[in-house]
Amino acid sequence: MRYLNILKGKLGRDPDFVELHAFAVMWSEHCGYSHTAGYIRRLPKQGHHGNAGVVDLDGDFGLVFKVESHNHPSAVEPYNGAATGVGGIIRDVLAMGARPSAILDSLHMNSVIGGIIEGIADYGNSIGVPTVGGELRLSELYQHNPLVNVMAVGVAPHGNILPSKASKPGQVMVVFGGATGRDGIHGASFASEDLTGDKASKLSIQVGDPFAEKMLIEAFLRMNEEGLIDGAQDLGAGGVLSATVELVARGGLGAVVHLERLPLRESNMKPWEILISESQERMAVVTTKDRAERIIEIAKDHLLTAAVVAEVKADPTYRVFYGDKKIMEVPVQLLANAPEEPVSDYVPKDMPDFRKVDFKVVDAHTVFEQYDYMVGTDTVIPPGLGPAVMRVKGDGGYSLLTHSRADLAVQDSYWGTFIAVLESVRKTLSVGAKPLAVTNCVNYGDPDADPTDLAAMMKALEDACRFANIPVASGNASLYNTYGGRAIPPTLVIGMVGRADPKKIVRPKPSNVYAIGWPDFDVERERRLWEVIEYLSAKGAFVLAASSLVNVTHVKALRRLGLKLNVDVPRTEPAHQMVIVFADSVKTDVPVEKIGVLKWM
Amino acid sequence: MKACIVVYPGSNCDRDVYHALKYVGVDVNYVGLDDSLDGCDLVVLPGGFSYGDYLRPGAVAAREKISHEVRRAADRGKLILGICNGFQILIEMGLLPGALLRNSSGRFVSKWVRLIVEDVDTPFTRNFKSREVIKLPVAHGYGRYFKTDSAIRVVFKYMDDVNGSDDMIAAVTTEDGRILGMMPHPERAYEKLLGGEDGLKLFTSVVEYLRRNAS
Repeated sequence: MRYLNILKGKLGRDPDFVELHAFAVMWSEHCGYSHTAGYIRRLPKQGHHGNAGVVDLDGDFGLVFKVESHNHPSAVEPYNGAATGVGGIIRDVLAMGARPSAILDSLHMNSVIGGIIEGIADYGNSIGVPTVGGELRLSELYQHNPLVNVMAVGVAPHGNILPSKASKPGQVMVVFGGATGRDGIHGASFASEDLTGDKASKLSIQVGDPFAEKMLIEAFLRMNEEGLIDGAQDLGAGGVLSATVELVARGGLGAVVHLERLPLRESNMKPWEILISESQERMAVVTTKDRAERIIEIAKDHLLTAAVVAEVKADPTYRVFYGDKKIMEVPVQLLANAPEEPVSDYVPKDMPDFRKVDFKVVDAHTVFEQYDYMVGTDTVIPPGLGPAVMRVKGDGGYSLLTHSRADLAVQDSYWGTFIAVLESVRKTLSVGAKPLAVTNCVNYGDPDADPTDLAAMMKALEDACRFANIPVASGNASLYNTYGGRAIPPTLVIGMVGRADPKKIVRPKPSNVYAIGWPDFDVERERRLWEVIEYLSAKGAFVLAASSLVNVTHVKALRRLGLKLNVDVPRTEPAHQMVIVFADSVKTDVPVEKIGVLKWM
Repeated sequence: MKACIVVYPGSNCDRDVYHALKYVGVDVNYVGLDDSLDGCDLVVLPGGFSYGDYLRPGAVAAREKISHEVRRAADRGKLILGICNGFQILIEMGLLPGALLRNSSGRFVSKWVRLIVEDVDTPFTRNFKSREVIKLPVAHGYGRYFKTDSAIRVVFKYMDDVNGSDDMIAAVTTEDGRILGMMPHPERAYEKLLGGEDGLKLFTSVVEYLRRNAS
């Protein structure tokens, strides 16, 4: 209601029916970032772009990456909710001009939900992008609100990277991909409320078509190769409305949209439904009139639909027509800039004595062996032993991981989040990689009921990234993860990419096993631990840097390599600074204890 | 000597096969649905999800125009290799016997598996030792081989039950050994960096066979 009054004030009149729908989508938390925009501004940023972050990998290639949530849809319809989560993040990376080359997931749920795993597997496997790892955290704290966060990474020569905006009047916007239907109407608004809210119906869930996505990927890359695209934006939350508004808003321009031109999958769709439908596997590209024809031709060659649906105008107004009839006319920037909630300043307290909060432990192979983690023949380190490492054919490579510590954050959201960032650095260093940048997904309860932990998490992310001197390149927020008012633990998922040299990758082999470091946590010691990890892994030691030190997934992964692990795992605090090192001998000035051996089976 | 990779809408291992063939020094190009296979000595139908596996894996692809070309190449005795979805397409085309059903687990399976080389007298396997144990990745949801013919030439067998296949069959060939269909992915095991290089021998076998017969 408050936003409605703001809108009335800005428009100087009551919004009409279509405007109500349009602003409900654009000013939803999912699209508008009302509660997090202020915090995001404070982060040490680098490589922030419209659709995903970009960092330099080696001078020639850029690494494009982002993590995104699909929590609400996955709670109501696990299979399609999770599947379309993969599809959406893949298109974010694609829209930057990069071929998506790896997927990671971060799953928090009560027990392994078959539908969610199958949704991710069927979609990722079909489109031929390997799902190379991730994290699986099981706890009853997520009973009603499973968290499905998916990270995607792509690699592209710098010259291929595309802006996410229109740049001059006279350009046109082509929407191509699957046809538009009624699925996912108000998905963005539904994703911004309690799961017992009135939008939590299956009609709000998008339905995935991985075959169309695969064709969309190939068509888009072809268009980019032919130099036909001036700017691009995928159609996700908010559909045509959100994509076209964002493209012109970032360029300070306006648009005229013709809804009757969109190829439809259902008859009798109302104009406002076409405008905000979240039908999947669609992309908007900015181009010139003369090149639009070739774009449409390429789309059709790939069995997709396409149409020029909008023109870019100098006047920064967003006008929508259906035939001759004007449906809506509002300022672009009003749509694009949701009202912002005030941020609060969180002052960190001393780190508490963390209790052990038990998350159920399962062998994650049961999950990732349903994912094709090898397609593309770039996967150097398969899932199960820490971060994934991918090569770039020709030269170089990168590491990638997702990580979170909700078991700590539920006790102290600041320190839980802070330590998750530090542990991500340890993991990246453990495969001999150099941390490049972070992407993050904030999963939270209801910030209107209590914003304290949201402020704490964002402050921790900011502080930890400054401490580690690693920029944040992209991010996503999923709020209102509540059921009947009960919230999930504050869960900030870190996605970290690093520069790796695949030729120097250390693989486990028979050796002694050492526990190195300290069983408790003191931030003053963290950099020393990093130096030790870096040094040992450069010396050819295989390093495991896990919160749990050694778990059943590690043991099974080693067994798949024909190795048997025989160790006494030391006891540690829930927050610790200890890593497991596989080497014949170890020389270091931090505490070392030999805890067993690794042998051929 | 030239190799052609047929790219169906939804193929996703086409580029992987390309890199593996390039790695062993083969002149290779992609072929679309309306292209000709004239001049190809080796035709590869790659893995993936042609037409999204809709209807049945391989069913739509098997009825595409390029199938006539594949059949013509088979009639002329060219070598044909179908990997994963390519194997499913060859079966749907009737070029290989049997059927490929949903894995007995009901789930997609992606992992490295151990195989026994059962037949080293085909152009694809001459560089393997008889009964040699090798490791290759599998990644499929419909890989359970169902035997419809008792007199078939089995080329690879799984050592452990991967998908419920009859007689643990992982790959079959025609009587003359010139058409090979296999569920495991040799193109994913051509470099040590990828975790194994046992797939390399399959590609070197073909290359040496074709070079010998060309001269």
